[in-house]
Amino acid sequence: MNPILKNALFPALALAFSSGLYAAGEHGGHHGSSAVGEPGKAEDVSRTIDVTMMDNYYEPESISVKPGETIRFRVKNEGALVHEFNIGTAEMHEAHQEEMQMMVEHGVIKGDRIDEEMMNMDMGNGHSMKHDDPNSVLMEPGETREIIWTFTEATDLEFACNVPGHYQSGMYGDIDFE
Amino acid sequence: MKKTILIAMLAGFASLAANAGEYDISVDRVQIDTGDFVKEGIGYNGASPGPILRFKEGEEVTINVTNNLDEMTSIHWHGLILPYQQDGVPGISFPGIKPGETFTYNFPIVQAGTYWFHSHSGFQEPNGAYGAIVIEPEGREPFRYDREYVVQLTDKHPHSGDRIMRNLKMSADYYNRQQQTVGDFIEESGDKGFMATLMDRMMWGDMRMMKADIEDVQGFTALINGKGPEQNWTGLFEKGDRVRLRFINSSAMTYFDVRIPGLEMTVVQADGNNVQPVNVDEFRIGVAETYDVIVRIRDEQAYTIFAESMGRSGFARGTLAPAEGMVADVPEMRDAPLLTMADMAGHRDHGGMDHGSMDHGSMDHGSMDQGDMAGMDHGDMNRDDMAGMDHSGMNHGGDSALPEDPFYAKGSGLIPTASNGGKFLSYADLKAQKPLYEDREPTREIEMRLTGNMERYEWSINGVKYEDADPVVLQYGERVRFKFVNETMMTHPMHLHGMWSILDVGADKWNPIKHVISVAPATTVYMETEVDAPGEWAFHCHLSYHAASGMFRKIVVEGDPDSTVADGKQGGQQGGES
Repeated sequence: MNPILKNALFPALALAFSSGLYAAGEHGGHHGSSAVGEPGKAEDVSRTIDVTMMDNYYEPESISVKPGETIRFRVKNEGALVHEFNIGTAEMHEAHQEEMQMMVEHGVIKGDRIDEEMMNMDMGNGHSMKHDDPNSVLMEPGETREIIWTFTEATDLEFACNVPGHYQSGMYGDIDFE
Repeated sequence: MKKTILIAMLAGFASLAANAGEYDISVDRVQIDTGDFVKEGIGYNGASPGPILRFKEGEEVTINVTNNLDEMTSIHWHGLILPYQQDGVPGISFPGIKPGETFTYNFPIVQAGTYWFHSHSGFQEPNGAYGAIVIEPEGREPFRYDREYVVQLTDKHPHSGDRIMRNLKMSADYYNRQQQTVGDFIEESGDKGFMATLMDRMMWGDMRMMKADIEDVQGFTALINGKGPEQNWTGLFEKGDRVRLRFINSSAMTYFDVRIPGLEMTVVQADGNNVQPVNVDEFRIGVAETYDVIVRIRDEQAYTIFAESMGRSGFARGTLAPAEGMVADVPEMRDAPLLTMADMAGHRDHGGMDHGSMDHGSMDHGSMDQGDMAGMDHGDMNRDDMAGMDHSGMNHGGDSALPEDPFYAKGSGLIPTASNGGKFLSYADLKAQKPLYEDREPTREIEMRLTGNMERYEWSINGVKYEDADPVVLQYGERVRFKFVNETMMTHPMHLHGMWSILDVGADKWNPIKHVISVAPATTVYMETEVDAPGEWAFHCHLSYHAASGMFRKIVVEGDPDSTVADGKQGGQQGGES
């Protein structure tokens, strides 16, 4: 069906096995910093913000929050492509983009769908390309997911889609602290 | 010189008129100053390049073109989907525009993106008759930017187009300054051994080609928006801006490798159509192609836009800067690539052969080429590996140091690499952002072998020059798969008028739609076309002197939306080329 992609997959995968990139760069480690905030509890939610994902931008394109506030983000992908909603600093997004690039190269993200099997595949050393961080959701077209997040202190945060090229073409927004 | 500057009504103006814009263009004799030389040429509204025409999707445009030359002219709206009578190709769409006359084009704008326009008469286009078209979409674009610039490249030559054509016909290597010398031979003999070098040279001589023959026409000054490297076209920005650059290659003959040292570029459009964004450090733009990229500039320094010609015989240079007069380093050009054995793997000399009457279905290219090369080291010369898209037999495990790109022959000397070791855009990276057509099986395949005789500077399709060829007949409603087999050692940018070229990058429904498909030496590239535009259209190599010497066809689309030609059925008449 797709000879180029299939054939290109294997040498790239072999590379990933040996590079140990995922061992070091597992999605964890990004959200330990308290400045970014932390996963919130449903009972603390003060309000819900609806975020719509389009190709390739968000509506709205900026969000205002208060320090200490816990918000439920109800995120809907109304685009035709896979998108991410990820809360972090510009640096965190940049680091995450490298991982997402590998997910595309390995066929985990295929334009409009996510290959769950490939994503959860054991890559030989106990690691996988699972995308299961609490500050982020990765979604196929039509999906709606929620993130409950507590913003601890005022800092430079963005919500962003780190699917390769999407951030660079403008799919990010500022989180402003009131 | 008569210099009538008519009003070029641009976007702001047109929007007042809501959905009907009227534009006036005069075709004039102009002076073109490249910084290296001043040359009389042809321009629009008194200048070359002409104005940037800014249209709005959904607008009905009326364009009055007044010919102030003493010869026939025409304007072709490159990449625009329109009724065939408006396409501007003399002898196919209309008779052309006589001296002193005004021809009024009228058509709806049914697309958005970056395109261009140029004369389709004689060599007026290489002589300066070109301009840019920017179409604002009806809806929101899938990306955002703070400002935008057209970056229109060309390869302005001190000789007129007619003179270049005459010289090429006289001697195909007239403008090839990078021929290898006796000195090169001695040096290469030291590296490779005398016999191997001698054999190599004899073979290349036998093919009437030279390893360095990547650009037929050298000696040009490359321009950005009409300005030579010293004149340094500059686009201003403010720190933090996201800048959209609309690259258009309006060259007669020259491919460019484009980079902006220090900035990553995100490719968001190819040939006017949105693609899923790709981050790159460098890209190659074929003749007549367009690429839109977005750069985000976070600091207050100047950046050089550097576009080296593919054969490294010249470069265009411009600058992005926070203030006028600021400049950045201009890199040295890299070494010129040399064609390799892989690039000649498809080579066949079509000098005296009548290919029209041959049965190509039974031709065995593999064994034929092998026969020609007895005694040589064939290493990776297996043609099956080089059939462009069919990589099922390729071994991706080995040779990991060599650059690879499925749109070049394996081992080709032309495979580009980014100067900073980073990402170089490949056709294989291009995926439609939003597919225009439903993906479906093609109803038939038409093979187009790209052929030529270098010595006589004759270029052809399936071995037949334009003047000797029957039109290719297509039926409205069919989906035709074109198989381009490049049997020459030049890269050909093939341009179909009036209908989209769906480039097969192996991405099924995400295959991108383009108006120019570049076919590298010794490769086979497939594109599909939904035959959805009745009438008569041009199809040709966009290298000016290849098109003029025969690599050109007329395409006739029979039937229309009201006729009963069903999908998948062909009329009785086949194209002369299929």
